[in-house]
Amino acid sequence: MNSLFAKADAIKPLKKRRKTDRDDNRQKPSGSKESLHDLTLTSVARNTGLPKSLRPTSPPPEGTHAYSHVKDKKLRTQLTRESAQAAWAKRLVKDAELLLSEEKGLMEVEGAMEKTWRVGQDDITTSAGQEAARGRKEWRLDGGPYRSRYTRNGRHLAIVGKSGHVATFDWQTGTMHAELQLKETCRDITFLHDHSHFAVAQKKYVYIYDRDGVELHCLKSHIEPTRLEFLPYHWLLVSVGNPGYLKYQDTSTGSLVVEHRTKLGACTTMTQNQHNAVIHLGHQNGTVTLWTPNLPHPAVRLLAHLGPVAGVSVDGSTGGRYMATSGKDGVVKIWDCRNWNGAVRTWNARGGSAELEWSQRGALAVGTGGSVNVYVKPAIQTPFAGTVLPPLYMTHPVPHRPLTSVRFCPFQDILTIGHNDGLSSILVPGAGEPNFDSSEADPFENKRARREREVKGLLDKIQPDMISLDPEFVGSLAPEPKLTTAINDTHDIPFARLPRMERLRVIGKADETEDADEQDVADDGIGGKSKPMTKAEKEKKKMRGKNKSLKRYLRKQRKNVVDPTAVAVRERLARQRDERERAKAVSKGEGAPKSAALDRFKKR
Amino acid sequence: MVKISVLQHAPAQHLPVRPGDPTPRSRNLDPLMHPFSRARERTRALNAAKMERIFAKPFIAALEGHIDAVECMARQPGTLDMVASGSWDGGLIVHDIVKKTQQMRIDVAHKGKITGLAFADSSRLLSCGVDRNVKLWDFREVDENGAGPSEPRKPVSVFPGKTAFNSIDHHRTDPLFATASNIVQIWDETKNAAISNLTFPTASETVSAVRFNLSESSVLASIGSDRSFTLYDIRTGKAERRVIMQMRSNALSWSPTFPTTVLLASEDHNLYTFDIRALTNPTQIYKAHVSAVMSCDWSPTGTQFVSGGWDRTVRIWNEGRGTAPEVYHTKRMQRVMSTMFTADARFVLSGSDDGNVRIWKARAHEKLGILDSRERAALEYRERLKEKWKTDAAVSKVSRSRHIPKPVYKAAELKRTMLDAQRVKEERRRKHTRAGESKPKAERKTVVVTEQT
Repeated sequence: MNSLFAKADAIKPLKKRRKTDRDDNRQKPSGSKESLHDLTLTSVARNTGLPKSLRPTSPPPEGTHAYSHVKDKKLRTQLTRESAQAAWAKRLVKDAELLLSEEKGLMEVEGAMEKTWRVGQDDITTSAGQEAARGRKEWRLDGGPYRSRYTRNGRHLAIVGKSGHVATFDWQTGTMHAELQLKETCRDITFLHDHSHFAVAQKKYVYIYDRDGVELHCLKSHIEPTRLEFLPYHWLLVSVGNPGYLKYQDTSTGSLVVEHRTKLGACTTMTQNQHNAVIHLGHQNGTVTLWTPNLPHPAVRLLAHLGPVAGVSVDGSTGGRYMATSGKDGVVKIWDCRNWNGAVRTWNARGGSAELEWSQRGALAVGTGGSVNVYVKPAIQTPFAGTVLPPLYMTHPVPHRPLTSVRFCPFQDILTIGHNDGLSSILVPGAGEPNFDSSEADPFENKRARREREVKGLLDKIQPDMISLDPEFVGSLAPEPKLTTAINDTHDIPFARLPRMERLRVIGKADETEDADEQDVADDGIGGKSKPMTKAEKEKKKMRGKNKSLKRYLRKQRKNVVDPTAVAVRERLARQRDERERAKAVSKGEGAPKSAALDRFKKR
Repeated sequence: MVKISVLQHAPAQHLPVRPGDPTPRSRNLDPLMHPFSRARERTRALNAAKMERIFAKPFIAALEGHIDAVECMARQPGTLDMVASGSWDGGLIVHDIVKKTQQMRIDVAHKGKITGLAFADSSRLLSCGVDRNVKLWDFREVDENGAGPSEPRKPVSVFPGKTAFNSIDHHRTDPLFATASNIVQIWDETKNAAISNLTFPTASETVSAVRFNLSESSVLASIGSDRSFTLYDIRTGKAERRVIMQMRSNALSWSPTFPTTVLLASEDHNLYTFDIRALTNPTQIYKAHVSAVMSCDWSPTGTQFVSGGWDRTVRIWNEGRGTAPEVYHTKRMQRVMSTMFTADARFVLSGSDDGNVRIWKARAHEKLGILDSRERAALEYRERLKEKWKTDAAVSKVSRSRHIPKPVYKAAELKRTMLDAQRVKEERRRKHTRAGESKPKAERKTVVVTEQT
């Protein structure tokens, strides 16, 4: 209405109005740019427009959906705004990478004749900085082969010897937290949420100690445990043992969440996928199984090796996409967790069963026989048919067989090897992530920050039944139910009580754009310009029994009764037949009837 | 020549410079550094929703003083504190709701019940009752000469009428007021008799409420016992339009921000918003009460409104959302006869059959008092989380569910059963009639019976 008034220019004196009218006519005879001179708009814009400080300074970023097919205006605006914001956020995250200040370690050679694996630990320590060189250590300890475990921030180290020597310490400052002689077989150790508690898999049960080594709990439901894992975001302590039971214990409430019978005998190999909290177990018969608390059977069962499985590890640097397994026979395999059909890469590691571990930046340490070999990323994950060793990045001989554990230190270029005579730490340039996030794991956190993080972590605890192979299912749309209540597209339920999607479908307003897109893509891929099928193929792909039930329905209808449904069905069938024949004619090139020479004399 | 560099952190960058300084925090926004970020955010949203329900303590205070049911309330325009309430026994109290004290109290202002209250200006108050009088009161403690109130208080002036009055409302700017009896009358404050009588030509009904429009201040609307809703204009002095509905309305309120929107509280347990440009059907039906809705009032922002019902509950609705309102109740609150938003839209007042005026928070979980910046940031983050995850089943269930008294719950259940049965019956009937003979009618189309001009 206002714009109408403004066009009439009712407010201005008569003389002036005429003049502007003529001016307007002269300026734009086409009248296409009318909106630019909308007087109401210009007068109102001064008071109603967004202030300059709030106006968007640049056009909406690329990747913003238009949602033009959505009819509801409010919804459309909201969706568009959300997608623009998401695109902005994505771009800003890219910008934020500039703020990552710390530099990663690396080892580079110049010519093709030089090899990184020829560089020994002495060269690396001499060329490393004073602080970094302290990571190279040798601990000579009695008490059998040792295993070790770092906290998530890489500050504290827990070690356990086979014959019961347990110690936890801050390896950077060298302060010992606890040292225990348990005088019984200890098979594994793990920190819980941080260094204030740790769990040890002892001869009969799992025990939990606090930082000072005081025994807090004896978990009698975990019998003869061999391996321990802790899922930090779910606060679950997972153990597997000689009886072959996989047990999840909630360390925040103390309850045993679930126990799974693997039915595959004693198990000595376990690891977790840090990105979806799925537990990977390696078994005596060569299978690797993936477990979640909410499934009573493995989520994935994979025959990985012909002998027993000796080591499993999951690559965190690719979001848990790759898994490495090793067998007692010395074969190392890399698997793609999204496609279990065959290993990505296979090679034979000399020296029998191998201990495996991926670092944060995707270096794979393989500890076999008397040496530890480190392989780096693009080579080991590219599919390769032969069983050839991938290019070696680094190697380090350890003369104390057997090697029982290899562990990378988070946020450091350090690899700790547990062996018969203690532990040795070596430097692996480029293994650790240089930039940590204080809200997740901070190597420099103080007491208050640790307490704060403990409380926050408890508040954010994820429920155990949320663990699944795809962690992104949270907050995504549930798949649409395939079942409909429609029988031959007619509903017995009245329209008003149908579910919303079906109602929309009946009116023809259901938004099925995505489905349509997929169909288009499929059509482009299969149909279109692909070569025609051979006769055998045609015979193989021929649709059989199509519409059988419909035809039977028609057959059963008595001919002398005019039933509207039957009539409709008959019409539909006839129409389909017509379309088929027309399509056939077009494909044969008989689309338009050929004109004969004398057709031009035909009467029309 | 091999180039070797080994990662080492500079502790100086990550440790506080002096003891007592905050520890520097470093950030890495790589999604691989933040596993389960979505699942953790959902947990946070769920906790936020639960915390909202834990801290939902809406009741603030009950203002006592009336002997019988509180029939009507009015707030003084332009102030936050003055609220007048009148009761069935003829008592009239002006409350200071900030100090929770009584500014003025008259035990027998009218003979019989007080049916309407309206503030005339910053110092005077109009009241009307079934004793066929409109009285004008000065409620100040001391007047401009410094003299205290006469003891007992006397009205400044009395406007006698012919029949019992049911409602009164004052013009926004002019010294005019409108009363509702069997007709709508316009009065001048300075004259002793009504200056004009407004009535729809064919109507003979008892008008139960009359309200001036807040923006288009010469337009007024009334509701009556004929199940009618009528629009008048005092410039033409005529009834412009009239609508007859299925059930009669009990209360009426104009939207303060949308001049064309009017809210009706109906006897059929529903509230309706109408756009007065198209009175054929309501723009929205608000369903949750399980008994007649007795009163309603818009928030000054125009985005919310409050309603009180015969079912002993107070409900706070969002404009345009017809279900799942916030619901307030206490054990001792009886039938709610009058409700009102305060002028800052943060509080809600309800006057009930038990003679109390109760003060509630408009947002049940709001923390009153001063917030420090960290607390405010945490609150805003929680609000945003709830908004983002409101479609999640667990989160929405927590924030949706309300405890309501057992009688109300049972009544709602019974009502649902009855409506379902009706609907099923209608469907069956339609199924067994000839196709296309009886078409289902949208509920919005059935509210209005006729429109008269």
